[in-house]
Amino acid sequence: MTQSSLRSNYFVVWNEIVKNIKFLLAYPIVFVFWAIFPIFWFIPFILQGQALVGGLSSQAFAQIAGTPEFIPFVVIGSVLNSYVLSSLYGMGESIRREAYQGTLDYVLASPCNKSFILIGKAVSESLTSTIFALSQLAISILFFGIALTVGVVMPILFILILLILGLYGIALMLAALSLRFKQAHDLAHTLEYVFYLFSPVRYPVESLPLWAQAVGKLLPLTYALIAVRSLMLLKQGIAALYIEVLVLLVIDTALILIGFYLFNWMENKTKKSGIISQY
Amino acid sequence: MKKTDRHVRRLGMVSCPTGYTWANVKAELRAIWESNVKQWKIELAYPLNFIRQCISPVIFLLPFLIYGLVLIGGRYSPNLEALIGNGDVVTFIFTGYIIMGFIGTAVWAMGFSIRNEQWFGTMESIYITPTNRLSIVLGTALHSTVHQGISTLVEFIIIYLVFGLALNMTGILPAMMIFALMMLALYGFGILISALSLVLKEGWIVSEGLHSIMMILSPVAYPLLVLPEVARQASFVFPTVPGLIGMRMFLLQDYKPEVIGNMFLALLLLDAAWILFGSLIFRLTDIYVRKRGSLEKY
Repeated sequence: MTQSSLRSNYFVVWNEIVKNIKFLLAYPIVFVFWAIFPIFWFIPFILQGQALVGGLSSQAFAQIAGTPEFIPFVVIGSVLNSYVLSSLYGMGESIRREAYQGTLDYVLASPCNKSFILIGKAVSESLTSTIFALSQLAISILFFGIALTVGVVMPILFILILLILGLYGIALMLAALSLRFKQAHDLAHTLEYVFYLFSPVRYPVESLPLWAQAVGKLLPLTYALIAVRSLMLLKQGIAALYIEVLVLLVIDTALILIGFYLFNWMENKTKKSGIISQY
Repeated sequence: MKKTDRHVRRLGMVSCPTGYTWANVKAELRAIWESNVKQWKIELAYPLNFIRQCISPVIFLLPFLIYGLVLIGGRYSPNLEALIGNGDVVTFIFTGYIIMGFIGTAVWAMGFSIRNEQWFGTMESIYITPTNRLSIVLGTALHSTVHQGISTLVEFIIIYLVFGLALNMTGILPAMMIFALMMLALYGFGILISALSLVLKEGWIVSEGLHSIMMILSPVAYPLLVLPEVARQASFVFPTVPGLIGMRMFLLQDYKPEVIGNMFLALLLLDAAWILFGSLIFRLTDIYVRKRGSLEKY
């Protein structure tokens, strides 16, 4: 790869980021919505916990989750789950959006490596998701007493990057399918259900039946949640979480490789069949 | 006048229904029915999507149930029993959650009934037909209510088979009456949102916001007693609150005539208020967007 091609690829990634941020800032109310409203989705779980337990901690919960405090458990689950939503509906449907905006033909016909367009989309989605997650976390620290020490920030960021890589592997597959089958929305919904039920977003995986635990252990969110909760709630060091980190690395590698392969394959297939511009 | 001229004039004539005559009511009922049939045709054209939507209420209910069971390490919560007189977590949450889909009917299906026509490219055609626009909204409401009814049945069967439900079977009929009253008020709420979706460019934010607020302020997964006093008072604006309290009284708890009477009265008042308010706002918005010519704008 020459220096000029490197520069042009960097240019593609940068402009993809700028374009997506411009879109987001064109609708400030949407920006505010995603920064605040996901909190409203976990408040019922907090109130439900208080009604059933009669307090802010549960010994029965501690036996499975390792911590009796269910509020931080739920808050962390929800904040990290917002990355799942943005990867499935943001990145996963980004190709479909290009088709709606009438720019997909131009994007695919441009003389650049399409992987860098996808990397640009993934980076801009990650940036916005992180802004939303930080805002939710800040509100949770203020109103729900979530404690965050400076020492765990870097390890959490590391785990988040690993989570994002795995999720964008899945999103790449969705983007590939939307090239060929146009409507990947239903598939995104179905995947959301899988994450919602089988990952430890609201409850520990151990509370599920064995077959459901097996499904949960295939998802990158499961390991990211275990790691982040161990860091924040159980005060463990990153060294103690090497198994979760290793498994996340393996899942990420597999998902990204399959994602890129599938996207390139689908792109060639749709170009040959001439159905790119069809809805 | 020649015979051919008369024929041409008769073809061009459209008798617009005006006034509250039986013929006009019949015409509007037909429009409601046809709008409902159209929604079913669109929905059943995507059978996999239909199946996914039928099972989605169970998917969103299960985390509430599993989370509840993990929190108390069993099915019965002494604290819940102290609050409402029944500690069965599964039955309590199930009876609350079944109405969530019907809130969706008001907020999403009715709210976007006219906006969706814009996506299909048929809104202008519908607007120039001699039919009341509310009939289109009510047709969508009919479709969505039946759709939610099917989803709720699926939900009931699955939860009954997996967890078991301890419901008072003799209370089902009166609970259905309360439910019907609650739905009337929700329809009024849906009409209001459909009006808002005509003027707001990002109407989904209003819908999603109201849906989330209703979820928090309604006693779906917890009794109202855990809410702060201000939120508890504000929650009675929504018909889901007297609706759920009344339904649970028949299905789970001991029947208390004074509480049931109050709930019936509250629901009747909310029905009248929401339907009148929703229809008024809808009418004003309809006039406003047509005067401004902003109807077809995205």
